Amino acid sequence: MIKVIGLSKKFDDLEVLKGIDEEILQGEKVVIIGPSGSGKSTFLRCLNLMEFPTGGEILFEGENVAGYRKGKQLNAHRQRIGMVFQHFNLFPHLSVIENITLAPVMLKKSTKAEALRNAARLLDRIGLAEKAANYPATLSGGQKQRVAIVRALAMEPKVMLFDEPTSALDPEMVGEVLDLIGDLADEGMTMVLVTHEMGFAREVGSRILFMDEGKIVEQAEPTTFFTNPQSPRLQDFLAKVV
Amino acid sequence: MIDTITSAFYRVMIYDDRWRMWLSGLELTLTVTFFALLVGLLAGLTLAIVRVTYDSSAKPNPLLIILNRFAKLYISAIRGIPMVVQLLVWALVILAASRNSFLIATLAFGFNSGAYVSEVFRAGIASIDKGQSEAGRSLGLSYAQTMLKIILPQAIKNCLPAFGNEFISLLKETSIAGMAAIADVTQVGNIIRGRTFDPAPLFFVAAIYLILVLFLEFLIRQMEKALNKSDRRTGKPIAKLKRKGLVRND
Repeated sequence: MIKVIGLSKKFDDLEVLKGIDEEILQGEKVVIIGPSGSGKSTFLRCLNLMEFPTGGEILFEGENVAGYRKGKQLNAHRQRIGMVFQHFNLFPHLSVIENITLAPVMLKKSTKAEALRNAARLLDRIGLAEKAANYPATLSGGQKQRVAIVRALAMEPKVMLFDEPTSALDPEMVGEVLDLIGDLADEGMTMVLVTHEMGFAREVGSRILFMDEGKIVEQAEPTTFFTNPQSPRLQDFLAKVV
Repeated sequence: MIDTITSAFYRVMIYDDRWRMWLSGLELTLTVTFFALLVGLLAGLTLAIVRVTYDSSAKPNPLLIILNRFAKLYISAIRGIPMVVQLLVWALVILAASRNSFLIATLAFGFNSGAYVSEVFRAGIASIDKGQSEAGRSLGLSYAQTMLKIILPQAIKNCLPAFGNEFISLLKETSIAGMAAIADVTQVGNIIRGRTFDPAPLFFVAAIYLILVLFLEFLIRQMEKALNKSDRRTGKPIAKLKRKGLVRND
């Protein structure tokens, strides 16, 4: 579904990604872990061009999108990829339901009535139907992140990207967000997830990538990854975090 | 004491139907302020968007570079030249051929205000977390759509207090409109003072501005309240949503 070839990214003189080659298949749940500064968020953000790559190719269903910079192509590419951020980034001046319907209506993906019905259905699914008219300021962190997830889902994306979705949450709210992400995974959504939740990575991931210093150092399916790490860097990292 | 005030009131307001002059002066002050405010808002928003767009684009196109330079120059020039001098430049140079002193004053005060308003807007836009535009863009919204629907509504709310300040300054600044032969409130006061030979009209001028500013402050407070609705628990749409059956009654 997404094929990345020789992807590199420099911020001025700082080389954050040093040639990434990777293929993400339809329905896969790819979890990226690694120390901070390893380039995992940058890699994720390159996939929907929130960061513009400085080299390499990103083939999305065969179409090389790496060079898209502005206008229709760029926005159309982003519309098919949902993104969830560490700090939720709900729109505080809009009610919960308006947060969800804004993009589908503005981008003429659906009529206002359809978008409202769809948003109500999504909210019902995450048990927040009665919060539809509330403003985000009145929600808990976990509720905010769940709304942010369904806001992305409302665009009916083909892939979901999660950038440390639980890092800013109070511990008791991590579970409800992970449950929702897990449900999406079970439904077959293709997803790429950057996280520090090792237990969750093991449970949900179909494949785990370990990044360090701008490269994918090692990857494997979860059981092998955690029980039989090959490279010293990963052994060292796992010894510290698990 | 009371006698002094009533006799002053008679001389300044009643005698010779002078209240008519005050009324037309007040009308001019208010209309010049209002239209200058519109010009200033439009100019300020345009300038701010040019500068913010320039600052946020990695490789700005040549037109944007030129527009940005112009915006910076414009803001420096306006802020560096006294308002009285600007007014005279409009009256004696730019629109020297025009006899429409109302237009002259509106443009002079409006374009002056625009420079200050643009800085207010720019600060307001900069105050919005980067995550907001990232969230908008990640959904596939364009830069313009994100600006219009996500950034500006929040930015305007944040800059309302500073903007109220600018509005009040503008109202008071129009008191030099007399320099361009406009009979605004201040100028009417001067004319009447020339006939009564006492300072009483000056107090009336002062009182009128004070009352106007108090009223403006009230208006601004109401606007702030209206824009603060997102701090409340629920918004207006709830009744509508309930009718459609999209929200349960709690």
